[in-house]
Amino acid sequence: MTLNARPTALALARDADGGPTCDDSAVVGMESAHEIVGRVQSKASAQMVPLNVSFELTLNCNIRCLHCYNLDRDEPRPAVASASGCGAPKQELSLEERLALLQNLRDAGTLFVGFTGGEVLTSPHLFPMLDRARELNIAVQVLTNGTMLHPGMASRLAAYRNITGVSISIYGATPDVHDGITQIPGSWRRTWDGARRMRRLGVAVRLKFIVMHQNAHETAAMRAAASAEDFPYTVDVTITPRHDGTRGSLVTRMDDGQLEELYRGPLRDMVPAGKRQMTEERFSCNCARGNCAISAYGDVYPCIAVPWAAGNVREQPFIDIWRESPVFQRIRGLRIADYPACAPCADKPYCSRNRGAAFNYSGDYTGVDPFVCKTAAITRAIATEPQPSD
Amino acid sequence: MSEAVATGRWRRDTELPFQRLDEETIVVDPRSREVHLLNETAGRIWELLAKPLSLDDLVATMAEEYDADAAELRAEITECLSGLSDKALVLAAGGAR
Repeated sequence: MTLNARPTALALARDADGGPTCDDSAVVGMESAHEIVGRVQSKASAQMVPLNVSFELTLNCNIRCLHCYNLDRDEPRPAVASASGCGAPKQELSLEERLALLQNLRDAGTLFVGFTGGEVLTSPHLFPMLDRARELNIAVQVLTNGTMLHPGMASRLAAYRNITGVSISIYGATPDVHDGITQIPGSWRRTWDGARRMRRLGVAVRLKFIVMHQNAHETAAMRAAASAEDFPYTVDVTITPRHDGTRGSLVTRMDDGQLEELYRGPLRDMVPAGKRQMTEERFSCNCARGNCAISAYGDVYPCIAVPWAAGNVREQPFIDIWRESPVFQRIRGLRIADYPACAPCADKPYCSRNRGAAFNYSGDYTGVDPFVCKTAAITRAIATEPQPSD
Repeated sequence: MSEAVATGRWRRDTELPFQRLDEETIVVDPRSREVHLLNETAGRIWELLAKPLSLDDLVATMAEEYDADAAELRAEITECLSGLSDKALVLAAGGAR
């Protein structure tokens, strides 16, 4: 009868791939215990237990990021056909529906939930959902832009002992660059203030740097700023088309030259060293195995980056969608050979195989996004070229 | 510690996230940044400590569930309870006797 516990030092988390392929850590937020969490994740994945769930609490947002993957905020929200034939705005889940769903997730085996948006701090459902998650002993990671983490909000959040941490997105090392991307003056300062405030209150904070055309020149400075204050961080270079089908976000993508310059410069340490092999296990991801996501409208996705609805919780119990939906069954059965462009690709061992980018760009889960392919080609070229000491 | 374990009443920290996965129970402690894996019997103790119980209560309940020598069972439960207490996963619930 033993209690197995393994404390580990907090480590800087850096995505070597630069992409949220199936970013369990964004939902789990326990990098300090990554080995034991990894073991649990593998077990959940093998047994198809939805251990991690991203839960979108709103699509509303208080900033207007150029690269936003949710929707084009200059356009009307998506409409659905009603019985009268008129399009009516889709209705986000009610609080009652969300509270009930949280119980369903708990019953299905969920331990880690990431509350996300839009901007989750704008949602009136956030605190009732945190209350219920606490009652249900569910661990919560809060994904936010940080601008609303004012003292009152921060203190209120810090009182929840089931919050594993806060993940905060930052888009520049300077106010001009960051605020130019969010289109909200003062957001950079408020975001940094919020990050520091949460940490002072004892809440783990992880920064998430999204690198794009507009801020690539500040990549080194962004990383240095995080390191100077000892914030763990991840770096993501992949901008995807939006979940509403629009592609305006792609104007923020880096061009090939910028991308290569980045990986030969400030992200050089993220290029995997030497030759790598690809296996079925490494190629597969946790989508629909140990991970899924609930959209603001109740659609169940394989992960938050892949808006491929396997069902809707208004029409079908979550557990039935999880176990039986054709979408999830298909994903679970995929092998490398089922990805027509990836199977023969020599860059595969260096590729993030970013499912969200592939799906949003091509409309096909097994498709590709040329940007991701280019990233893989660049990293492979760098990783395998002769080194000065060779 | 074992004396305290033997005389006190205990309950799990009710705010800690946990979930059962197969025979293991995963307990997350966000503040210490630790994740603990409890084996089946430690997980059963965790489950029973949803309400305050003494060591004697635990031994009596688990003796009915496990085919084990009473003294050995008591020693193992004591050790496990000490471990859980050291990690602050279970807390004194008062009512020492």
